[in-house]
Amino acid sequence: MWKTFAYSISLLFFLNYSMIQVNAQDTISFPLKIRAGIELSGPVIYYTDKNILNAEGFISLDLNEKRSVILDAGYLNFKYSQNNYSYLNKGSYIRVGMDFNLLQPEKSQGKYWAGIGLRYGLSRFKSEVPSFQKTDYWGTTISSIAQKTNWGHFLEVSPGVRAEIFNHLSIGWNISLRMLLYTSTGKDLKPVNFPGFGNGTKTITPGMSYFIVWNIPYKKIQVIRKKEVKEQPDENDDTDTQNTNSTIRN
Amino acid sequence: MKRLIRGSLFIIFTSVIIYLSACNSGSCFEETESYLKASFYDNSTKTLLAPDSISLHGLNSDSIIYNSQTNVQPALIPLNASTDSCSFSIEINGITDTIEFKYSSYPHLISKECGYTFYHHLDTTLFHTKHAIKDIYISNETITNLNVENIRIFY
Repeated sequence: MWKTFAYSISLLFFLNYSMIQVNAQDTISFPLKIRAGIELSGPVIYYTDKNILNAEGFISLDLNEKRSVILDAGYLNFKYSQNNYSYLNKGSYIRVGMDFNLLQPEKSQGKYWAGIGLRYGLSRFKSEVPSFQKTDYWGTTISSIAQKTNWGHFLEVSPGVRAEIFNHLSIGWNISLRMLLYTSTGKDLKPVNFPGFGNGTKTITPGMSYFIVWNIPYKKIQVIRKKEVKEQPDENDDTDTQNTNSTIRN
Repeated sequence: MKRLIRGSLFIIFTSVIIYLSACNSGSCFEETESYLKASFYDNSTKTLLAPDSISLHGLNSDSIIYNSQTNVQPALIPLNASTDSCSFSIEINGITDTIEFKYSSYPHLISKECGYTFYHHLDTTLFHTKHAIKDIYISNETITNLNVENIRIFY
């Protein structure tokens, strides 16, 4: 009996709340877009340091006003040397995932994006240590590690912003935090750097990307906008209270 | 508008935290040498006991690793990565013994900053004279840059 009573009361509250929501809603027209972007920092870094060539681009497709699927692909040619070793790594990578826009549709209008991206990354690379040397009690040992093809898997979280500055053209940046899941190199010969991830000796690495993006609208959808309803004291409440009081008096 | 500002601040703040937390200085702070770590035990009580003095040097090498040193516990013994065995002359409390280790070596990347070193895998058979040394027990065959005991020398 009590359960039925509680259920009925809950249902009444729910219906009342839903009606308020429906009354407060409005719709706006929202353009869904296909985006193609190029990463800018890679060529700039290569211009200053010829040992690191990273070329990267992406294609994304808006699913709705909040979410878009993204495919990100790139190529890395990395050379590194310091006093006791030199290291080469080149290969390609893809990242697939989803971007979540945290802006309200009426603010973003399909032009502005501020949110978080989640991605899974897969990298295939060839790494080689042409020479390394170790000096100890017995003298200096010089050795090398032959080229080998390996795979790397990782996850990425990338908060960022993007804004349309000209018609169909956006710029933006994001910071990435990547978590290594697996590399086929084994624990002794972890990659110094591998495509799409960065420093493979660490489980978590950061990254930063700057994009220039071409936006192509492909569809418009109607998005229900929720108005902010200010709670006002209901005059009927007073009446009800009075009625209740009068009932009690009676 | 407030939501936009709050959202933007959240993203900028998260980004800065992520970037700062993942930064490193680019210097090598890790141990780069892979020594064989030998602990000394009293053979009668089977308890850890550092010798009063110890001297150690590799055979076919002029360099001395320990020279009548006291309170050595454990002894750090460098293996030769260019060969698959090496021998040492060890003097415990004035009595000299010879130990020969057989092993295999393989490269290991310590970090981007520190580069490569050699790790070793110790063979289970090792040879030693029995003047001061009564017995040697292999407790861990893998020799790395970590501070983990590899052998126990009972004397």
